[in-house]
Amino acid sequence: MLKMEGVQKIYRTDLVQTHALRSLSLEVEEGEFVAVTGPSGSGKTTFLNIAGLLETFDGGRYTLDGKDVSGLSDRERSKIRNVKIGFIFQSFNLIPDLNVYDNVDVPLRYRGLGGGDRDKRIKDALERVGLASRLKHLPSQLSGGQQQRVAIARALAGSPRILFADEPTGNLDSLMAREVMNMLEEINVQGTTIVMVTHDPELARRMHRNIHIMDGQASDFDHGSDSRSDAPVDRIAPRIVASV
Amino acid sequence: MFGYYLRLGLRQLRRSPVLTSLVILTLAVGVAASMSTLTVLYMMSADPIPQKSDRLLTVTLDNAPADSDSKPEDIPRGLSWLDVKALREGGKGLRRSGMYGTGGIVEPQKSGVKNFVAQGIAVDRDFFAMMDVDFKFGSAWRKEDDRDEARVVVISRAMSQKLYGDESPLGRTIKFNNGEFRIVGVLGQWHMLPRFYLMENGRRSGGSTMSDEEEIFLPLSTAIATEQDINGNVNCQSDAAPGYKGLVVSECTFMHYWVELASASDRSDYREYLHAYVGQQKARGRLPRPDQTGLYNVRDWLSFIGVVDDDTRLQTWLAFGFLSVCLVNTIGLLLAKFTSRSGEIGVRRALGASRAQIFAQYLLEAAVLGLVGSVLGVVLAYGMLHIMATQSPDLAALAKMDSLMLLTTVLLSVAAAVLAGLLPTWRATQVVPALQLKSQ
Repeated sequence: MLKMEGVQKIYRTDLVQTHALRSLSLEVEEGEFVAVTGPSGSGKTTFLNIAGLLETFDGGRYTLDGKDVSGLSDRERSKIRNVKIGFIFQSFNLIPDLNVYDNVDVPLRYRGLGGGDRDKRIKDALERVGLASRLKHLPSQLSGGQQQRVAIARALAGSPRILFADEPTGNLDSLMAREVMNMLEEINVQGTTIVMVTHDPELARRMHRNIHIMDGQASDFDHGSDSRSDAPVDRIAPRIVASV
Repeated sequence: MFGYYLRLGLRQLRRSPVLTSLVILTLAVGVAASMSTLTVLYMMSADPIPQKSDRLLTVTLDNAPADSDSKPEDIPRGLSWLDVKALREGGKGLRRSGMYGTGGIVEPQKSGVKNFVAQGIAVDRDFFAMMDVDFKFGSAWRKEDDRDEARVVVISRAMSQKLYGDESPLGRTIKFNNGEFRIVGVLGQWHMLPRFYLMENGRRSGGSTMSDEEEIFLPLSTAIATEQDINGNVNCQSDAAPGYKGLVVSECTFMHYWVELASASDRSDYREYLHAYVGQQKARGRLPRPDQTGLYNVRDWLSFIGVVDDDTRLQTWLAFGFLSVCLVNTIGLLLAKFTSRSGEIGVRRALGASRAQIFAQYLLEAAVLGLVGSVLGVVLAYGMLHIMATQSPDLAALAKMDSLMLLTTVLLSVAAAVLAGLLPTWRATQVVPALQLKSQ
């Protein structure tokens, strides 16, 4: 599903060059639920941004869903983001002026779907996250957990092949965090690949595979299925894919 | 997507109302200032009779003496009665009329209305058809009245109202400059601006403004016979015998001559006719200088006499300069407005919006601001035109916005907003989504 080989990312200023990723290589198979961990500044958000085509990279090769994405135009990258990728952010990133319905509608608009198709997808997605009754609510009228569920619905409405989540429970209390995690696991069970950046070792342990990024390089390990007491039973087998 | 972007643009009007109001106000003031001056310029230079302006021609002749040191630009803009009379009698053209401005005292036979000075014009019968004059009562005088120097007049609607109220004054006698004239017609809604047929140097010959309206029309032959005052420029480059009788047999120019051709393509034929006429006059010992006959249609004439003065042009340039300053301010305000939404842009980019789509959305939003600004701009422009109209009768006649100017105001405002929105919109497309999404 996702394959990076020797990917590099360097941030440059007039005086300083910072190597955010140093020849990072990893592979995520379709249907996996992968946790990306690492200390602050290790490069995990940079990895997520590059993986989500939000940033370009300076070297190496990146294949997403079988397609080499290096050198694509802005339009092509945007189309891939729109069709194949879903994002969930720590701070939800809902558009404050738009109500729940219109927020979920945003990615579908850019896909050019018809009104009827969009309406069905929006309502189905909000039904899945249990917010079908909050269509007209503005984000400010929802709790943090509800806002994150709207963000999940927005990511799901486009039926993405892969979901990138950046600390999706970071701004939630433990109860809400558990709820969101359960939801993500359910989504994963239904076939969507999920790559989740987290600082929380407890959450990381729930994934059957961890990628640890340190100094811009990735090491891959698994916790073993017995470490996740509440993990779904049909996870694909964990395996070491890459290390540098 | 256009409908979606439009809806977003309208929704954004409510967001950051102070900034939005400032953008709209800045645009509106700039557009109103430029459109009010442009309206005056447009009205000044507008074709007053577009349906036939290319077929209505006026003539100038160089009738200065042989030893005159006058330059080509000094050629009189009027004609002498000698030439007007000859050209009328020549019969060339579909319709033709000589004319000069006159005026005098009207003595109303109505109690309570005192004598008053009326502005008039002496014309031939064809004038009314040439200028597409409509009548409320009656019509132009008969052809024979021109020949017979009949004591007949056509009066303006305003004078008819003043003297006779709503009643038809046809057949009544009006006393003008001690002569009695029978009223045969009352003008309808006819309104000509500018009144090009008597204009010289951007002003009506003998009048104070380009908008002076004639109140009384009498036959040219009658005016000559009854020696009606000349209310206009009299230009004598050679000696003339004293008095009115001396004037009408001299080379002094105080009249204008307009001819209507059946087709604009007849113009070259008419020019040939004029050359032949000049040759004929030379043979008789007149027009001794080289033939410098001028033949102008309405638009050429307005341009030749400089109906749009330099002050008006300068004011218009200054107003558009002011609009440019407003646009610079608008750019700054839009930059602030769009920058404050970098987070939203980042989200939209992450969810699949391309740079081109962000560009279209934000440019349309700028256009929506321009559209709202145009409404306020029209209101302000009307206010400015109203103030201008109080400054002089000329401006009062010109400071009127027609539907074309109204549409231009709206389009200018939208175009200005789009222009001002280009840089802020381009900046919006350069937002790096990754930075915004993390910093939200």
